[in-house]
Amino acid sequence: MAASPARTAPIANPGLDKLGVVVAALLAVGAASPFAVFRANRIVAGEAKPFFEALPPSAAVLMALVVLAAAGVALLKTPARVRLAAAIIFFVVVAGLIGVAADRLTPPDAPYARVAPAAGFWTLAFAGSILFADSVVRLKLGPATRLLALALGAAAFALALWSGVWSEVSILKEYATRADVFWREAGAHLVLAVGSLAAAMAVGLPLGVLIARKAGWRAPVLNTLNAIQTIPSIALFGILIGPLGWISSHVPGAAALGVHGIGAAPAMLALFLYSLLPMAANTVVGLAQAPRDVVDAADGMGMTSRQRLFSVELPLALPVILTAVRIVLVQNIGMATIAALIGGGGFGVFVFAGLGQTAPDLILLGALPTVFLAFAAAIVLDAAVELATGARP
Amino acid sequence: MIAIEELTKAYGSDVAVDDVSMVVEAGALTVIVGASGAGKSTLMRMVNRLVEPTSGRVLIEGEDAALLPVHELRRRIGYVIQNHGLFPHRTVAQNIATVPTLLGWDRQRIAARVEELLHLFQLDPATFARRHPYELSGGQQQRVGVARALAAEPRLLLMDEPFGALDPLVRGKAQEDLKAIQRQLGTTIIFVTHDMEEAIRLGDRIAVMDGGRLLQYAPPAEILVHPATPFVGALIGVGDRPFRLLSLETVAEEVEPGEAEGAAVAADADLRNVLAELLWSRRDAAPVAEHDGRVIGRVTLARLIERAGAPT
Repeated sequence: MAASPARTAPIANPGLDKLGVVVAALLAVGAASPFAVFRANRIVAGEAKPFFEALPPSAAVLMALVVLAAAGVALLKTPARVRLAAAIIFFVVVAGLIGVAADRLTPPDAPYARVAPAAGFWTLAFAGSILFADSVVRLKLGPATRLLALALGAAAFALALWSGVWSEVSILKEYATRADVFWREAGAHLVLAVGSLAAAMAVGLPLGVLIARKAGWRAPVLNTLNAIQTIPSIALFGILIGPLGWISSHVPGAAALGVHGIGAAPAMLALFLYSLLPMAANTVVGLAQAPRDVVDAADGMGMTSRQRLFSVELPLALPVILTAVRIVLVQNIGMATIAALIGGGGFGVFVFAGLGQTAPDLILLGALPTVFLAFAAAIVLDAAVELATGARP
Repeated sequence: MIAIEELTKAYGSDVAVDDVSMVVEAGALTVIVGASGAGKSTLMRMVNRLVEPTSGRVLIEGEDAALLPVHELRRRIGYVIQNHGLFPHRTVAQNIATVPTLLGWDRQRIAARVEELLHLFQLDPATFARRHPYELSGGQQQRVGVARALAAEPRLLLMDEPFGALDPLVRGKAQEDLKAIQRQLGTTIIFVTHDMEEAIRLGDRIAVMDGGRLLQYAPPAEILVHPATPFVGALIGVGDRPFRLLSLETVAEEVEPGEAEGAAVAADADLRNVLAELLWSRRDAAPVAEHDGRVIGRVTLARLIERAGAPT
């Protein structure tokens, strides 16, 4: 195939991958920056170590080779499969080596010493994520494959945690001292995020159906929900303290059910209120996009309006409604962190405690699981949206 | 038999259908033809009450449609629309099974009926039953749309520009198939179109509408020869009149004894096509043959020209 010179001329480096240049640059910065930081205890200023000091010589050589190889694969126009394999190997090696560095840098008999991943590690991880995400997009994996990949990734992560390679890493040391609390708050976080989603679905879906049918109610309802969205979460918590406090002390049984001015109840209620707009609005949009001919045919064949809703309009709206579920769940997993401010529990407990104690490792103990949860929820629901749409155009 | 009595539909001061009365014979294919906005779809949609009349009534086999529960009425009447309106999330078999399912037929009876209809519409069940509408061609989608409308064996079928979205070749085939299926099942059909050609080709009777009024309701030959108003005449088109008249008759009716040179024409071909063939091959006559190849006589150019003129 003869390419005309005019077509090839504008491309400056035909052999280099554009995104790969960014990835390689990040890898270079990451390798040059401190890999791990050593602190005598969890709050003093630390001593940052580049990877060749943090790691034993053989591991340092392995690290250098892996970073160079990943940069090479990223820079050159390699097939997506090769890029994916490179990203996975890169992650396994770098994640393993941070454990090795922690083992090496922690002095014996120093229970208060902490070794934390430093800027270089996080930059390398970021570069690796770009390479990974980009290769996944290029491979155009189907929904089932993506779910399988998520399950494998989660299993590998769990295996690494269980194997003890990271046991000397600061975040896990923070975990080790409060494992019970961690799982309790994890449960609270999930209850907040999933519970508020369930409530928003139970109310938002019927509300969406209702305002899709009654055009006159649509603008007032959606505007009200919109107004709620604009209230900052802290302010909303404040607004809710009064009424919920009143309910708690005046409605019999409310306090026993856990309804108080502060705590999980206002957090749950706030997340629920924020979730109503996406649920109701997407239901309206999903129902409205059922083709006119299809609705006419459903009527003409003698479906009642209920039959039309459940067997035609809602199934056709399902991808759009699931998109709302995705938005709400990811949003709520993130926002549930704020609940800790008013004693609502969740991973935010560690974030705010860490902020209070200027203990970055503790902040990460709250932040990282939140990010992983949101990320996993996004993958699962994206796959669900795609499965619901099917091959339908 | 469907009796439409003094039917009117007004939207405010805007009259879509204006005092229309007509009788649709059982087993006939009646075409309502008119320009867009003539009120033809509105008239048809008042039969299954997708549009409720402002005044007047529709009697279906003597029963006033307005007195029947609306969903039961619609389930008894087949309904086909231009863009087929197939349910995109359901398979071909599920689409066809829609009305039988609404009527609560048992599973085996539905499955048997779906299979029967797929065969009737030349869609192999093994290939097509589990496909989704987007996996079909336009012609196949339209056939599934008609099969779905016929699933519960309705005595009456309403079709609103059903072939409007098809390309001409597929459209001709769809028209032929519809004629054949109607002859086979004896279903009463009300067919709406803006295309006079299609109306003449399909209709046992044609109702011409304009501005909500029924201008003429007659068999095609009568509409061609004696258009009731200048508007009906314009809709037919003066230039096409002789050819449209010829298209109503098959060559079998004009065969005379004798022989002729060249390729034979089929006995069931319409006279317009035969005229075109004779003109194109520069012949004065052609042999006429049955499908088995047996020559039954000849047809002459002179005879065709004689048939193309207005009756004197």
